[in-house]
Amino acid sequence: MEEELMQIKNSAVSMIIEATDQKELEEIKLQFLGRSGKLTLTLKEIVKVPVERRAAVGQLANEVKRVIEETIKNHESRIKNQESKTKIEKIDVTNPGIKPDIGRLHPLTQVLYEVVDIFKQIGFQVADGPEIETDHYNFEVLNIHKDHPARDTQQTLYLDTRGSKSDPGKIILRTHGSNMQGRIMETTRPPVRAIYPGKVFRYEQVDVSHGFEFWQLEGLAVDKNLTLTDLFGTMSYVIKEFFGLDTKVKFVSHNFPFTEPSAETYMSCTVCKGKGCSFCKHSGWVEILGCGMIHPNVLKAVGYDSQKVSGFAWGMGFSRMVTLKYQMDDLRLLTNPDLRILEQF
Amino acid sequence: MLVPLSWLKEYVDITLTTKGLGEKLTEVGLGCEKIIKTSDDTIFELEITPNRSDCLSIIGVAREVAAIENKKIKLPHLRQGFGGQAKLRKILPLTIKTDFKINPRFTGIIITGIKVGESPKWLKDKLVKVNQRSINNIVDITNYVMLELGNPLHTFDYNKIAGHIMTVSQAKGGEKFESVDGVIYHLPKDAVIISDKEKVIDLCGIKGGKNSGTFGETKNIFIRVPVEIPNLTRRTSQTLGLRSEASSIFERGVNTGGTIDTLKRAVDLVLEIAGGEIASELYDIKSEDFKPWKLKLRIERLNEILGIEIADKKVLGILETLNLSPVLKNNIIETTIPTYRNDLKIEEDLIEEVARIYGYNNFPKTMPIGEIPTKQIPYFKDYKLDEKVKNILTASGFSEIYTYSLIGEKELPQGINSQNLLRVDNPVSRDFEYLRPTLKINLIKALSQNKSNFEKINLFELGKVYLGKNLDEAKEAYFLSGITNNKNFFEVKGLLEAIFKDLGIKMDPTKYIEILSEGIFFELNYSEILKNINLNKTFKPLPKYPPIVEDLSIIAGENIMTSDLISGIKNQSSIIANVSLLDQFEDSRTFHIVYQDENRNLTGEEVARIRSKILKSLQAKFHAELKG
Repeated sequence: MEEELMQIKNSAVSMIIEATDQKELEEIKLQFLGRSGKLTLTLKEIVKVPVERRAAVGQLANEVKRVIEETIKNHESRIKNQESKTKIEKIDVTNPGIKPDIGRLHPLTQVLYEVVDIFKQIGFQVADGPEIETDHYNFEVLNIHKDHPARDTQQTLYLDTRGSKSDPGKIILRTHGSNMQGRIMETTRPPVRAIYPGKVFRYEQVDVSHGFEFWQLEGLAVDKNLTLTDLFGTMSYVIKEFFGLDTKVKFVSHNFPFTEPSAETYMSCTVCKGKGCSFCKHSGWVEILGCGMIHPNVLKAVGYDSQKVSGFAWGMGFSRMVTLKYQMDDLRLLTNPDLRILEQF
Repeated sequence: MLVPLSWLKEYVDITLTTKGLGEKLTEVGLGCEKIIKTSDDTIFELEITPNRSDCLSIIGVAREVAAIENKKIKLPHLRQGFGGQAKLRKILPLTIKTDFKINPRFTGIIITGIKVGESPKWLKDKLVKVNQRSINNIVDITNYVMLELGNPLHTFDYNKIAGHIMTVSQAKGGEKFESVDGVIYHLPKDAVIISDKEKVIDLCGIKGGKNSGTFGETKNIFIRVPVEIPNLTRRTSQTLGLRSEASSIFERGVNTGGTIDTLKRAVDLVLEIAGGEIASELYDIKSEDFKPWKLKLRIERLNEILGIEIADKKVLGILETLNLSPVLKNNIIETTIPTYRNDLKIEEDLIEEVARIYGYNNFPKTMPIGEIPTKQIPYFKDYKLDEKVKNILTASGFSEIYTYSLIGEKELPQGINSQNLLRVDNPVSRDFEYLRPTLKINLIKALSQNKSNFEKINLFELGKVYLGKNLDEAKEAYFLSGITNNKNFFEVKGLLEAIFKDLGIKMDPTKYIEILSEGIFFELNYSEILKNINLNKTFKPLPKYPPIVEDLSIIAGENIMTSDLISGIKNQSSIIANVSLLDQFEDSRTFHIVYQDENRNLTGEEVARIRSKILKSLQAKFHAELKG
């Protein structure tokens, strides 16, 4: 009897394992556990077992029943899964996907990572410095002395010095990232290659292309034998890497107190590719950065010998790079926290 | 600066097309902003950089065109020779007292018997083209000559100079002054002025006075062509908010050697147009001779900075077209700088001259070939860290924003007193007056701004805040803050825990989270937090022996912190690898406990021993019981 029960269990379990659909499972269930199933019929024979062994056989029979039931139950879920997997073909795959719950990085950050990577490839390191700055680092070190007319082009926000030891008018919000030029060069020796992205502040009324807070990405390189052609080459490389290899770049002479020679840099308009459109005021060109060979007075101010080392420096309107890249027509979009804007990037 | 093409052509031959000339002017540094076609002319609108006061004149621009076109410039013919007093029929007296410290050069002359009237058509037309109003022939001549040559000049009605004395001095401050155009100013201290015996008659370098101006009845004039000191002109002009074409030139530095020729030109035109005759000696009171200066350019240095070798002949040719009289000797070019080029002071200035006329876009492009710097620069910033943190935030559904650092007083929440914030003295508006001490204000604003379009809003900003009550204490710090109306306290806590884990920071983030009516807000001093990071990650081999895992439901008082229970459990044995809260219901908390030994299999008996130790200690410490 015991042997018979074990056989029933084994054959039932092996059949269940091999079953491929729900119908087959139902049949197996009926075959073993049904009214005239093998196990049911066997159990009816239990009366024939001698009394002293009946309890043990009964226990075994119950165990066999439990194992069969449990195995069926386990495999029911396996079969259900299999069936649902084959069923997937029946759903409407043209339904829209379910949007994952992920946020977006601000376009400024995305562009920043990209530009930082480009500069890193050519040996530049990234620095970050103060926004609350002294007149000294923002202007004096850079050969922009008090009463220099260039100060007109960088209208300054002055900080309230009350309650402090600072002289009125001497502590400002930096008007450009070039404040880092002096700070970096003073504390390191050439060769040095650095970029310093960050926020700058101007006393300026806000409109589509101006703001009192915006981002710049400035940088410098100083070494023996750096040349104007190196400056032009580096700027062109970065602009083309970022905006695309078919971007045209041109340099025109300009004047900055902290560089000599100085250049203003233009690139072909991102919207019309140089044909001329309203975005570029129909010139085909947009201004992207100012640059030049670091002025000997600046090198001298930081303790470098301008006869032994030379360098170049530049400042690009970083906010502008972002708006140019994405063809945004208003600088203010970058400080607008509207998710309808942010989710586009 | 407006430059009519027809006017330029009086001094230089132009072969370039209008568009080509505009582009070339831009390339050499005179940014051509606009080309305006009129019925009979073409007007260039040029942006003149602060170093080029000479280009605030038509001749100055013509000189640049001559260099571009490689042509000679034709200067206006000057008839006047100032023959000396002997030839004069009439001499009018004038006493001039000046001070070289505030007025390095004072050139002038008196003309008598002029007739003030309307200007001739050619003169009026010229002024109209550059947006100037014709006033009368004398005033128009001074404006015309300034535009043509770049040295500002002013005519006084000689008869109105009381006592025929002109004294140059500095204002004490507060003096009243009425300009020729009838505006009354209160002069700032140290403004350079000319007074006669009774009154202030001129605000030097900026505006003439109404009380001595040239009007219809004027018969005798004194023409003054000065050199003013840039700083002094600039300060007064800024304080008064009063700009004139003259002041723009003086504050950039006028052509110190140009006063005599300017006066000659003016006298020629006055005599021609308004009649009259010279009635004084030539006054030219000056602190020095204002002669051209020498400047050397080493060919070797030129090549070193430019990165290319330009043939000597070409270099000399460029310097020649710029009228710098170059002489090459032993690889050194000696130039003579005309006084109108006061921007050329050092060798690098000459290098720029060569480069810009050679054409920046004719240069090849190279990359720096020196060694790549390997030592870490000062102020180094690792953007990779920010990237790590921001990636976790965006992966958790938070979008990044950037907001203004400057905020308005009325936005400050209760508990933040504007007295304790850093403040801008000259804000663009009251809404942007204070430097933010927290990112919270802008984040709450951003959340509510998005409410009309979005249900689920999760925002973060990594930005600077400005700490300290005054500038002595001022400190900038990056804060990392976020707000959500869509996640609960524990989701935010879990997020911060994930960030901390990634940065290897062993800290509990609970204190950085705040429950606001708008949602859950977090803010942490990112700059401070970064001091505790540990990015070294070392691999731990996977356990060779299986763990035993069990869940214990503990009944403990409400006031007992889960964190205390967890550490209470964990402290009982080193083989407890991890304890976490699985579930919480009423007074019961279920902990998931993982027992694991790296070196062997655990037995049920061992775990039972530790379990009873745990229960005993929880009972002793917290009166906590196993849920039975």
